[in-house]
Amino acid sequence: MTNPLVLKSPGTHAQPRGNRVGAVLAGLGAALAVLVWPLVWSNDFTLTLGILIAINLIGAVSLHLIVRTGHVSLGHAAFMGLGAYATALSLTRWHLVFPFDLLAGAAVPALVALLIGPLLLRLAGKYFVLVTFMVGEVIRLTFIQWSSLTGGANGLFGVIVPVPGLDSLLHFYYFALAFCVLCVGIVVRILTSELGRAIDSIREAQRVSECSGVPAIRMKVVMFSIAGALVGVAGGLQVYLLKYVDPSAFTIVQSLNFLIMNVIGGMDHLAGAVIGTVFMVVLPQALEQYVNVQQILFGLILVAVMIGMPGGLMDAVKRLRSLSRGRSGEER
Amino acid sequence: MFSATLLGQVLVNGLSLSAIYVLVALGFTLLFGIMRVVNFSHGAFAMLGGYALFLLYGKWHLPYLLAVPLAALGVAALAMVLEYLVFRWFYQKMMQSMIGLLGLNMALVYSAVLLWDVYERSIPPAITTLISVGGVLLPADRLTVVAIAIVALGAFWLFMTRTRFGLAMRAASQDVETAEAQGMDTAALYRMAFFIAIFLTALAGGLYAQTYSLSPFMGDRPLIVAFVVVILGGMGSIPGAALGGVLLGFSESFVSTFYGSAVSSFASFGIVILLLIFRPWGLLGTKEAMRA
Repeated sequence: MTNPLVLKSPGTHAQPRGNRVGAVLAGLGAALAVLVWPLVWSNDFTLTLGILIAINLIGAVSLHLIVRTGHVSLGHAAFMGLGAYATALSLTRWHLVFPFDLLAGAAVPALVALLIGPLLLRLAGKYFVLVTFMVGEVIRLTFIQWSSLTGGANGLFGVIVPVPGLDSLLHFYYFALAFCVLCVGIVVRILTSELGRAIDSIREAQRVSECSGVPAIRMKVVMFSIAGALVGVAGGLQVYLLKYVDPSAFTIVQSLNFLIMNVIGGMDHLAGAVIGTVFMVVLPQALEQYVNVQQILFGLILVAVMIGMPGGLMDAVKRLRSLSRGRSGEER
Repeated sequence: MFSATLLGQVLVNGLSLSAIYVLVALGFTLLFGIMRVVNFSHGAFAMLGGYALFLLYGKWHLPYLLAVPLAALGVAALAMVLEYLVFRWFYQKMMQSMIGLLGLNMALVYSAVLLWDVYERSIPPAITTLISVGGVLLPADRLTVVAIAIVALGAFWLFMTRTRFGLAMRAASQDVETAEAQGMDTAALYRMAFFIAIFLTALAGGLYAQTYSLSPFMGDRPLIVAFVVVILGGMGSIPGAALGGVLLGFSESFVSTFYGSAVSSFASFGIVILLLIFRPWGLLGTKEAMRA
């Protein structure tokens, strides 16, 4: 039987050597573009889009880390919520100063993940999906019910951003971008290291990799925890942006959004998560002019992409690449 | 607190809630069990069932017992078009089906917003009388819901256990490849299972909309419930869906009446999480299904 959660072969370190220079150039070009565009062409709208992409990208990429271990979490937004609440509480009640509030935002979800991970990560693929969905709901209900701490359904208001200068969207964009690059960098570093290869081996064949001395469960718990910490930072950044936090932002809808970002881009490659995030943040805005049918079109596009490209948008990229090399069909 | 009338009503509410939950969850588990499709557009079909009943019974004033099955049939027939356009691409693709059908759900829900606006409507109750059973007053409309659900479930059970098609479906849900090797036309089987699943869901949606209220977003709750019930009973297990629906319906009715709905949500989620950790294949699922 084929396990639907088992992905195709990983792509992170399968680059042919001749491609290296091109990849480095492309990376440099992208970095330059990301850094320079707000100075050339920016208004509040595009800057906000940029910030949203940066925050969501942290979430999507951290979920990608879990996905690479062969698990799909439907409770990722709840961990983002834990980070957001921890940050907001640090600023309003616990009086922590700047880097420590975001550190608390990373620590709380990481700790929760560390505690429940060993129980949850023993479960086979689809059961993990279900149980993370339930855990996410329980965490969200806790946000609503524990009103003495979390302010209940109204949430926490009056967060004062501890970093000066973030009132300007341009500054905020670079602030968020710095964290985004840091988090994506951590994930890239993990995936391209020996650790990443161990994760890939666990996903492809857990028993075999265990026999080769890879502590599978421990490895998965660590990844789950790191992913929690990263998405917690994304939650903290969201608090910085909105200056309040309420439970409605961390429902199953947001968890599904993170998952869609991964699947629509392509689950077997980190670049898929990046493409998916840009797609998911920009597309609804691009459809804005058709207000009435915006959501309908968005839904239909999701359906069409999933039917036409079961491997996500990375499928299209791969197809284009093999076409340009003039050996179409050979690679697939 | 524990007066006979209150207890009787909690019991009847629990029964009707269970009946609706079982119908929704059966459709969900049927689609997952046979096609490995996680139908995130399940709630949308329940919502369509609600609007169909509103049209047939609330507007055209067809006799109630004719309008209920006709509404569900209409939605199921319409859904066959979607089966051809969308669903058949997702069979045996769990991840892709989740995302694609989530998109379908958005498209359907917001089409409903466009067509019928967002405001809530209500479907007039079929009977408003109270029935007195041994001095306990019971609302007759809830009992009607239970009766309709029992008829539908009975017919479904007979179909699954007494007909060749039912046998084929059970075989396919155990092992599709072997079923195909025995010469079963799985494409036709899928269509039939899909039709039945959507029929049950639309039926439940109509009854749900009549019990609570009708709006384009009413499908969210049945979808979550279907999800929880199916986890509780065991993914793909048909008796499990029935047991899970009854357990959830009754516990919700009892706990939320006596302890409030917050406690009820926490308790049901907590129990399901514990169950998943210690018995992930569900109450009535089989351990073999773990490998699938």
